[in-house]
Amino acid sequence: MGSIWDALLKAILYPVNPYCDRRERLHLKPSHSVCISGLRRAKLELHFVMEADGAGSDVEREDESVIELLRDRFRLLTISIAEAQAKRNDLEISLPIAACIADLAFKYTEQLAKDLELFAQHASRKSINMEDVILSAHRNEHLATSLRSFCTDLKSKEAQSERKRKKPSRKEDKATTSVVHIPDN
Amino acid sequence: MEDANTFDPDLVHAIFKLVWNRRALERERNEGADGLDIQVGAGASKKNRPTYANANALKLSCELLRIFVTEAVQRAATIAEAEGVSKIEATHLERILPQLLLDF
Repeated sequence: MGSIWDALLKAILYPVNPYCDRRERLHLKPSHSVCISGLRRAKLELHFVMEADGAGSDVEREDESVIELLRDRFRLLTISIAEAQAKRNDLEISLPIAACIADLAFKYTEQLAKDLELFAQHASRKSINMEDVILSAHRNEHLATSLRSFCTDLKSKEAQSERKRKKPSRKEDKATTSVVHIPDN
Repeated sequence: MEDANTFDPDLVHAIFKLVWNRRALERERNEGADGLDIQVGAGASKKNRPTYANANALKLSCELLRIFVTEAVQRAATIAEAEGVSKIEATHLERILPQLLLDF
């Protein structure tokens, strides 16, 4: 079990600090957490606090610290999105409210993970599909529609990049929309 | 322009894996306690293999989460504007919360 947590911690910490091996905890400096406008700066200036945590390697405590880490990063992203959205309406959003929305979104993500796993299991699959995500948005038709359009956008972008890669081999027989065969008459 | 307006797929993936590992542990514990080999419906989870996520599915879930946050802020902003206040407060969030949770 310990190896799973090690791998998870490394996967999370490497994007931020790839040269760091030991288990470290992410802490926000108090001044940065108060000012929303300095939040982008805060993202770059996050400081690692080393914890001499060698003695207790309980799975529970590791679980807790990993959750806290994820929650902090999630909170930062959510606050920046909420701030940008509020700016579009020329309004301000107060920090506790943004943090509230962030925690709400975090709980929603956990719920979403559970739902996606159940959907995939129900379809006798081991991996989550795009269909599963669209299905989890079934409660609101508009939401499902916008997700489906995003999905087709992604697929068309992929098809385009595939076509660019396969250009030298000239595989134009696939059923893509822009290819029109003109019969020789 | 910074592209700060979307969630990080790796972060979402990490959260998913955390939840899935926790559930796999619970399932193992439950199966151990029961002693009987209860037939699970899908049949694929007898050995409790972890679930994987497609890259596109992750991007789509990031989009879903972004829409969630955007909707919450947008609806609260509508109420704040209707009141004529220039700052989004807790009361605005309270009023939109039930419908938001029902829609998602």
